[in-house]
Amino acid sequence: MLSQESAPDLMETQVMRLLSGVSTHGDQHLAEVERDLVQMDVLLNEAIKKLCASFMAIHHAIDLQQETLKSMLSTGKPAPEQAARLETLREEIGQHVGAAVTGLQFQDMTSQLIGRMVQHLAGLRDVFGVLGTSEPADLPESGSDEMLAMLNRLSDQIGARGDERAGATARSTVNQRHMESGGIELF
Amino acid sequence: MTKTILAVDDSGSLRQMLSFSLKAAGYGVIEAIDGEDGLNKAKRQTVDLVLTDQNMPGMDGLSLIRALRAMKNYQNVPILMLTTESGDDIKAMGRAAGANGWLVKPFDPARLTEVVKKLIG
Repeated sequence: MLSQESAPDLMETQVMRLLSGVSTHGDQHLAEVERDLVQMDVLLNEAIKKLCASFMAIHHAIDLQQETLKSMLSTGKPAPEQAARLETLREEIGQHVGAAVTGLQFQDMTSQLIGRMVQHLAGLRDVFGVLGTSEPADLPESGSDEMLAMLNRLSDQIGARGDERAGATARSTVNQRHMESGGIELF
Repeated sequence: MTKTILAVDDSGSLRQMLSFSLKAAGYGVIEAIDGEDGLNKAKRQTVDLVLTDQNMPGMDGLSLIRALRAMKNYQNVPILMLTTESGDDIKAMGRAAGANGWLVKPFDPARLTEVVKKLIG
């Protein structure tokens, strides 16, 4: 005898425990995937916005630089204001390229988020995999004790696989919400 | 003489951006794909500054810093962390390991080279 509870009550308890385990672990993985997808959407939108702005600005600055160069070539000798204009444009282009470099780094962060999502989806597959290990032929034909033992084993396996995954799945370190460059601190 | 910087990051695009920014500022750059690769390259050639990511497969940034600080020729070489992490706890661990500074990604090339210049000229 497993306890003083009646067999149908125990069966109900074990089924509820199993379903609760599946729901909890599945929900945790999906919540993490959802969180990362939202974060990735923010990063990608901001990155594209910044990269577009940077490339348009670079294009505009190069156009102006070309005009100044043409004007210099037509006169033969550069006037001081033309040289100064070229220097200003050179600095402007450098700043826009720097902004583009900052924007391009968001690909690295999104790839970290994708890696984490893949791990969580694997966790979800684990949960369903444990449930899928019981073939209909393995199910006890009768006897609630055997059925209870099987449900108990499945719940324990789901819990154990969830604990293993929790250790293997790195916590998210990508929390940036803005496209500005990060802080610098010298010790 | 050109100063050399060891840039350690498992992201190829990040290493490319670092290399592009530092070379444009006149520095030589050696790239390493993780902590272990960084340590091996640091052993082969003493560099002027190390810039490392924290989260990498295998040896992470903190372990790399500890390993470098244990080497006689790296006791005074500036080491900067460049990571997505910005928590006070991990920063304190970085400081205790021997990092000279903490930079949060994404980096701005102008600010990065400003810091590097301040440390190694």
